[in-house]
Amino acid sequence: MAKPPSSLKPLSPQEWETLMEDYQYGGSRRCRWTSANYTALPLLQLSLSSLLRKDFPLNLKLRLLVFLEEECLLAFEESGFEIEQTLTLILDALRPLIQAPIDGVSITYSLKDQFMLSTTSIFITATSDAFPILPQLESLIELLLTVINRPNHGLDRQTRGVACECLRELERAFPCLLSEIAGHLWVLCQSERTHVAQSYVLLLAGVVHSIAMGKANVSILNTSLPLVPFNFPQFLLGENCWGKEISSSSYKELRRVMSFLLEWPQYLTPCGLIEFMSMIIPVAVALELQASLLTVQLSGLIYSFDPMLCHALLVLCLQFPEAFDGQEGEVANRLVLMSREVQHYLVFRLLALHWLLGFIGLLKDGEGRKKKAIIGMSLSFYPTVFDPLSLKSLKLDLLAYCSILVDGSISPGGHGVLGSDVIGSGVSVVKLLEDGLVSVSGFKWLPPWSTETAVAFRTFYKFLIGASSHSDTNRILMESTIFHTSEGARNTRYSVDEHIYWGHPANSLEKRHTVTTHHWLDFSFSDVSVILKEGWVDMAATVVEFVLTLPTFMMQRMLVDMILEFQGLVPVMVSFFDRLFSCYKHRWLGERLLQTLDVHLLPKVKIDNRLGSYFPVFDRIAENDTVPPIKLLELLTSFMFMLVEKHGPDTGLKCWSLGSRVLGICRTMLMHHHSSRLFLGLSRLLAFTCLYFPDLEVRDDSRIYLRMLVCVPGNKLKHILNIGEQLPEMEITGQRQEPLRVMDSKISEIVGILRRHFSSIPDYRQMPELKIRISCSLRFQSEPFNRIWGFDLPANTLDEEDILPAIYATVLTFSSSAPYGAIPSCHIPFLLGEPPKSDYSLGQSDSFDIASVENGTAEGYDFKAPVMVELEPQEPIPGLVDVYIETNAENSQVIRGQLQNISVGIEDMFLQAIMPEDVPPDAVPGYYLDLFSALWEACGTSSSTGRETFLLKGGKGTAAIRGTRSVKLVEVPATSLIQAVERHLAAFVVSVIGEPLVNIVKDAGIIRDIIWKDVASDSAIDVTTSDPNSERGPLYLKYHDDEDERGSQVHFNKKEMGCFLILIFLPPRFHLLFQMQVCDVSTLVHIRTDHWPCLAYIDDYLEALFYV
Amino acid sequence: MPRVSGCSIRALWILNSQDAVVFSRRFPVVERRWRASCKSDVESGTVPLLPTDSELAAAFVDRKKREGSARGFGIRVPQSVEGSDSWVDDPITRHIISLHINKEEESANHLFWPFILHMKGHYCILVLPLVEPHHLRTYSRMCKRSDCGNAIGQDEGLSSLLLALPSITGAFMVAHVLGDIIMGDAQEPEVVVITSPSVGGLLDSLTGSIGISARAKPVAATVAASTTSNTTVSGSVLSDAPRIGSRTLDKDSLRTFISSAMPFGTPLDLSYSNFSAIKSNGFSSTDLPLSDRKQPAWKPYLYKGKQRVLFTIHETVHAAMYDRDEIPDSISISGQVNCRAELEGMPDVFFPLTGLDTTRVEVISFHPCAQVPEQGGEKQAITFSPPLGNFVLMRYQAFCGIGPPIKGFYQLSMVSENEGAFLFKLSLMEGYKAPLTMETCTVTMPFPRRRVISFDGTPSVGTVSNTEHAVEWKIITSSRVVSGKSIETTFPGTVRFAPWQTQRPNSSGYGIRGITDEDSDTELESTNNVVNVEEFLMEKMSKDLQSVDLEEPFCWQAYNYAKVSFKMVGAALSRMSIDPKSISIFPAVKAPVEFSTQVLSGDYILWNTLGKCPVAVTPKI
Repeated sequence: MAKPPSSLKPLSPQEWETLMEDYQYGGSRRCRWTSANYTALPLLQLSLSSLLRKDFPLNLKLRLLVFLEEECLLAFEESGFEIEQTLTLILDALRPLIQAPIDGVSITYSLKDQFMLSTTSIFITATSDAFPILPQLESLIELLLTVINRPNHGLDRQTRGVACECLRELERAFPCLLSEIAGHLWVLCQSERTHVAQSYVLLLAGVVHSIAMGKANVSILNTSLPLVPFNFPQFLLGENCWGKEISSSSYKELRRVMSFLLEWPQYLTPCGLIEFMSMIIPVAVALELQASLLTVQLSGLIYSFDPMLCHALLVLCLQFPEAFDGQEGEVANRLVLMSREVQHYLVFRLLALHWLLGFIGLLKDGEGRKKKAIIGMSLSFYPTVFDPLSLKSLKLDLLAYCSILVDGSISPGGHGVLGSDVIGSGVSVVKLLEDGLVSVSGFKWLPPWSTETAVAFRTFYKFLIGASSHSDTNRILMESTIFHTSEGARNTRYSVDEHIYWGHPANSLEKRHTVTTHHWLDFSFSDVSVILKEGWVDMAATVVEFVLTLPTFMMQRMLVDMILEFQGLVPVMVSFFDRLFSCYKHRWLGERLLQTLDVHLLPKVKIDNRLGSYFPVFDRIAENDTVPPIKLLELLTSFMFMLVEKHGPDTGLKCWSLGSRVLGICRTMLMHHHSSRLFLGLSRLLAFTCLYFPDLEVRDDSRIYLRMLVCVPGNKLKHILNIGEQLPEMEITGQRQEPLRVMDSKISEIVGILRRHFSSIPDYRQMPELKIRISCSLRFQSEPFNRIWGFDLPANTLDEEDILPAIYATVLTFSSSAPYGAIPSCHIPFLLGEPPKSDYSLGQSDSFDIASVENGTAEGYDFKAPVMVELEPQEPIPGLVDVYIETNAENSQVIRGQLQNISVGIEDMFLQAIMPEDVPPDAVPGYYLDLFSALWEACGTSSSTGRETFLLKGGKGTAAIRGTRSVKLVEVPATSLIQAVERHLAAFVVSVIGEPLVNIVKDAGIIRDIIWKDVASDSAIDVTTSDPNSERGPLYLKYHDDEDERGSQVHFNKKEMGCFLILIFLPPRFHLLFQMQVCDVSTLVHIRTDHWPCLAYIDDYLEALFYV
Repeated sequence: MPRVSGCSIRALWILNSQDAVVFSRRFPVVERRWRASCKSDVESGTVPLLPTDSELAAAFVDRKKREGSARGFGIRVPQSVEGSDSWVDDPITRHIISLHINKEEESANHLFWPFILHMKGHYCILVLPLVEPHHLRTYSRMCKRSDCGNAIGQDEGLSSLLLALPSITGAFMVAHVLGDIIMGDAQEPEVVVITSPSVGGLLDSLTGSIGISARAKPVAATVAASTTSNTTVSGSVLSDAPRIGSRTLDKDSLRTFISSAMPFGTPLDLSYSNFSAIKSNGFSSTDLPLSDRKQPAWKPYLYKGKQRVLFTIHETVHAAMYDRDEIPDSISISGQVNCRAELEGMPDVFFPLTGLDTTRVEVISFHPCAQVPEQGGEKQAITFSPPLGNFVLMRYQAFCGIGPPIKGFYQLSMVSENEGAFLFKLSLMEGYKAPLTMETCTVTMPFPRRRVISFDGTPSVGTVSNTEHAVEWKIITSSRVVSGKSIETTFPGTVRFAPWQTQRPNSSGYGIRGITDEDSDTELESTNNVVNVEEFLMEKMSKDLQSVDLEEPFCWQAYNYAKVSFKMVGAALSRMSIDPKSISIFPAVKAPVEFSTQVLSGDYILWNTLGKCPVAVTPKI
């Protein structure tokens, strides 16, 4: 048990404001107060005393009450403070206030009202679900009852209403609490005539509700018990307090009180009515009252423009469907009308349509009445010009729903419907879609990112998937004819396709009686009738199925026509396919769309330079093995013919670009189809390309592909292509095609190295980041600790460890304003205080200390707890980490507070570059050097790799390199420079160049496993010397004209010893490169980085490294 | 069977334009109920505490990043990620949102739903109503499903969820009231009388009758005039100095309103005029309840004084005028009858609906105080017991009963890249008779994406001026009111623009970007093929169009149009009218009945006859 806390310093109004704001803000701002003990009971005491002060403004008092109400839930949970004590305190403050006369200044009605509300709220929140047998609760109820027991009193009517609400809330929290005084409440209800009668009625309804629900056998008419003093009902205190059924006498009484209550709706506010209904409807159900008793009072609500009341009526409908039998149409109609009322906020119009959908879904469909009714309403779902797009979108949903119903109302096997998609009331699926889409028709020519486009494609999607759900039962989908049809068709097609290839490709395509999928989709109405006329009986079944899939079929044609006319829609269409392909249930729909495109789009597209915009679609066709590749290959071949023919001096890179992309599609085909299926067409295309194509690179590539196609067996070929490393420039990356460029071998090598490197860097947006670990230790000193926390220890016995103070279950939490991600907290079960040192000075204030290990000395390990701070930097910048401690002293006193910050320097961010897993150990030094050279080049001024983007691990994010360069002259002797490098940067050195330097460093043996180069003529140094700046050194202003003559240290080239190459990785994905040209008296450090902001810190870092 | 639930609110927050919480209120009693239902629900795991202000703000910012804007994409677009609202693919997720709250003390991330999002001025209001744990689970499943999305009419759809949750609807009502309060828009509907232009609200009737002179006897015209301008004024002040916005928020009165309107988080009366009347007047010993009747909760005071009943018909006309053979013009009227009944006691007013022609008037909805016969409102009469102050008695949607007030065409043709020739030919009030009077009429040609340098041309009637992005033609001004006759007018002219500058749209759009930009070859190619200046310009300009919010009807900037604004008085265009003699009051008192009419233009658009225009199919019933 902790010592009773000393009373807190009273707060000024401004301080109260701050405290309340900090509490609501949470986190550290809240901690500030709780750690200073402004929490729990002491805070409550302080608040209550402030509430009674006359000099406090009324507004602040009201706010303080709300604050107490809001915070008590958390306070009770956190520190489980003395509930009874709290409640007594509050009640003692409330009682005199209620009884005091109004003076308009310190005692006002609003203060009384708020005090009652907050007290009630605190009483309810303080107690658990179990019934609280607390004398304080009895007293509170009694106090409230005396307030309400003056019906029709003019002045305080509002306060009486509030007291009723308090009682109702208590009754809701503890059902049947007021059941035994229900009779009195009823009498009060009957006599109250002011506008607050609503609160009395709701209170009575609440009590009746809990009596009916609890089946408590109490008499509602009985007023023999006095209203005050109030006692808990005895039956609530017993074990089996709830009745099993309502006794017949109670039943009669409940009916009587119900008929009284049902007179009330017209006197209630809309919100009051909602509350009323939520209590009354369950009672009506429990008493098995006739629904008409309710509906006669409430059915008029549907004509109200208050959305809340309309919703209340819907709830009533759903509760008593039989009472609204036959009126469903009217209800649905009202909902449609509500969606058209422009005076409403948009959201209510949207809600009305949602309710309609939900309402239809819940109706029982007797003899298809529901369907008929909804289809009949379809015309009223048409969007209007000025409907907001979100409303249009939901109306289009409803049209799609109609189309499902229309579609489903064709009975399977019925032949009479053939050729007529028009159902009963003149509603046709296709017409619904076409008419509906007019309202967003701008999508055809607006840019693909327009909202109209998004809405239109969402509608396509809804119409297309129709009623086929993803639910686990598979019910709808399995019964769907669309499903069977497609399955059947797929099987047929497979065999036929194989036949086409192995047999007579040309002939097979001509044979109309061969039912292939692509033919099958090609049917139009006239085709169907032709088939029937010609009497192909074996087709009958297929034809019936075909008609059933008409909407889908029409939509496919629609999409084809659109994409032909508006090429801007290609990317949208592709993501539409991708949405279907990503779904296990609707993949087949995507496949059928591609098949349709194959049959209908490919023959119609114009073969010119604009064909390139269709390539994303072609890619999808190419990678899908359910689409025969023949047509696409033919098209691409003609396209290549065209490119060759039209080639001229002004064609520029276009020829190369388009040619490479065609080959990219070919490669996709090779990866996804049997090479036997491709053989004829593809070999012709490739052979032509490698013979006649104007661009050398394209010719080369096509030759390689051709050779692969001819020589490498199918499985192996796919394997090779899958590895993809052999063809770096043709890499297919997820769903996007890398921009292709011509480059020389050196640059392509650099790009290759960098691709490999970046692909091993985790993308922090998708996976756990790289972690930086900073080890620290926590210690605390006994003496100041004891002094502050009030432990009495004899000063002379401190040399014995037994009596040193200790802390238990310490939790260190960290936060930082720097972008370090979430920092996991640290738990230390036990830590012993450090014995006082002889040189302990009184000026030292903190008894706790957290320090980086490097900074402290390593003595006295027993008194330190190691702490590992793990950061996940999203940007490599220095920063501060705030440390908060929460710990327990031996006497179980809780200590909270903030410790010194941990400062994180740029050097803490230094990591070694990530090594790909497949690099053998002996190749590591070579890999690092290659990587260094590649990065050095990439960060240089030449933009040879500037436009490249590199995929990160995970394949989604990419990085681009934007390099920056800098130099720094370090004027320290070579020996100390080498020592500093060896001590602090050894791990990052990838190479040492130049004989003198190599000799010194090699002998020391600290830097190992790197590439040593005696002569500075290697490729690595080539890169550096190609830089003209490196010859001249940094820009240098002369202070005196004669400076050169005096032989200043600028002439660092004089005795060059060699060069360090240092490669540092900065998380999450950046790099810092040093090339240190070491001379005997000074060193020139060339710096390159792809994260220019870090240069701001590097200068200081180097200064500190070499000069200190 | 859905469980009957009322409406309770766990907490609400108000954020400013910097996404910082400026006001919050939590209702521990409701929260206790939430925790109790979680406890009794086997599938609920640990129940997270309500977020602190800082946690909420962080989650809101986080969602904003994920969803492109505060409201979000709404429907599923390529940028949508699994687990987010737009993954659910429904526009209403721009209004009912979820937040992933990261509790500071735990590493876990908790889904909170449903937050009602209402944006007003520069403030975002978030209200979290009480639902049941299984509702939250259902939503969580919906936004995490790995397949391509829901089919319509599914069992576990958003629609059935919303139908089962009146608390969401109630939370919207709360959010809207709070929005009106913080922006100072919580005003009563306007009622106009002939003698004095307009009359004040509930407070005036109280102060007038009770004898407390809370303010000077109102010159009600100022109140009426400020009804619309008030919003814009306070809005612009906020936009100029958003930081001040958080300070000007009157938190104390907001807090008092909340304590009184929803004391334990359950709304009881959201009427702000009742609240402020009680707050400022209180009750005196003279406020005696009636001896024979109960006083309804929505009428805290009874009127005393000279008796009269006032009605005003307000109509707003929306029109899309095409002047093309293949596209019919569409004109619709949304109207309402505002009422102010200064009657003593608690009388009933009998209001016949005989003036309504059911072929023209189609939606009718009423104030909750009206008793509507069950057969449907159109044919008969309604009886209402009027509340105090001004209120909207009924609303309706109607077709135009007489010809459109403004007919004709607008043609704009680009003669070169930076110069357009235009021609208006309009006829105003064709076939209209007195007392129909047009007080003002202005035609505006907006060019939001081009800078107007100059214009040339003179209209046959009225005056013309231009601003940087519009040309404005004032045909009728309030000094020259036109009544009972028609006007024919033409306006030929040219308008010159500054050279077109490409504006790359920002990346918060709906569709796919990047993939299309890649192919610069094809872009060049396509423009070369276009010969016509107009088409060339169209194509060039449409590439720069930004996507609009789902709350817009279409991309306005993609079209050329002229917008007509007018004000008319004297009669309703729907032919809706009120016969003062047919209105009776029970118990009978002698009280004069007055009525007036006001017609305003809404979106009254003349589409450029020579250009593209948005359309919709009008179903033939």
